[in-house]
Amino acid sequence: MSIDRVTVRRAVADALPLYVPAIPFALVIGLAITESGIGNLVGWSMSWLIFGGAAHLTLVTLLGSGVAWVAAVFAGLVVNARHLMYSAALAPTFQRQPAWFRRLGPYFLIDQAFALSTIEQDSEPEVFRTYFLTIGVTFWIMWLATTAVGLAVGPIVPEEWNLEFAIPILFLGLIVHGIDRAPKLVAALVGAGVSWLFAGLPNRSGLLVGALAGILAGTLAERRSR
Amino acid sequence: MRAFLAGVVVGIGTYVFRSLFIIALAKRRIPEAVLTALQFVAPAVLSALVVALLVDSDGNVAVGIPELAAFGAGGVVAYKTRSHVLTLFVGMGVFWLVRALV
Repeated sequence: MSIDRVTVRRAVADALPLYVPAIPFALVIGLAITESGIGNLVGWSMSWLIFGGAAHLTLVTLLGSGVAWVAAVFAGLVVNARHLMYSAALAPTFQRQPAWFRRLGPYFLIDQAFALSTIEQDSEPEVFRTYFLTIGVTFWIMWLATTAVGLAVGPIVPEEWNLEFAIPILFLGLIVHGIDRAPKLVAALVGAGVSWLFAGLPNRSGLLVGALAGILAGTLAERRSR
Repeated sequence: MRAFLAGVVVGIGTYVFRSLFIIALAKRRIPEAVLTALQFVAPAVLSALVVALLVDSDGNVAVGIPELAAFGAGGVVAYKTRSHVLTLFVGMGVFWLVRALV
């Protein structure tokens, strides 16, 4: 099997700028692990067990604070429940993929991989597969490396830089790329607005309410425009 | 050991979330109405995620003039250039600049 170097290069070039703002996040997780007292190897292993920063940080922090085990696990799962929606959104695209990829691919379905791959959905199945796996593996290697570095050095990026703010900026850029019709704009605006209204809900569950409202609003707008 | 087990459970749960529909709908015909709704998952979830990322520990959305300026500039650059690198540099540049000024 020959490797599609053009797609691999393009995927790495797309993944790297998205990784930059994940670096301070990974370092914070490293620090949180050392402070939680659950053990460095155990805490770091969650980088590949869960492969998702928000749930990882939630779980480590709660386990370290002495909250009941069940409550910590539940909070971690709630934080990652949005991935159900990613799975549904990509299901039609994955129908054109081999069975092995339907089992392996979802392990890499992090926020960034989802955002980039929705723009890539109309590509040839083989190109999509190469693109998706390259994004996933690039992030996976960087994530395991930087969370390990975080254990040793803590947050070396100065906090005043607020580099973590680059994450919402980049996601905004990806949303803009994906909006090609008015109903999608409606979905994005309602999603953000409702998520804002319910921002006070625990475990970031306002995100789920906002997302569902946005999907509903987009669907209704689509119906009206026909 | 209990902590490691917590990681295993959340890890398995996360994989189930990520794979559930991809595997369950692999061979099924997805109804037209569902396909229509699924197109709106990406803009709706990602914009809700942007807001969620800005929520501070008290449940307030922490957005001031620097953030809004950065979103405006980043959004325009993303729309015009489709480049992640430029979006990152311009967005963060405007954020730091406006924060220093106001």
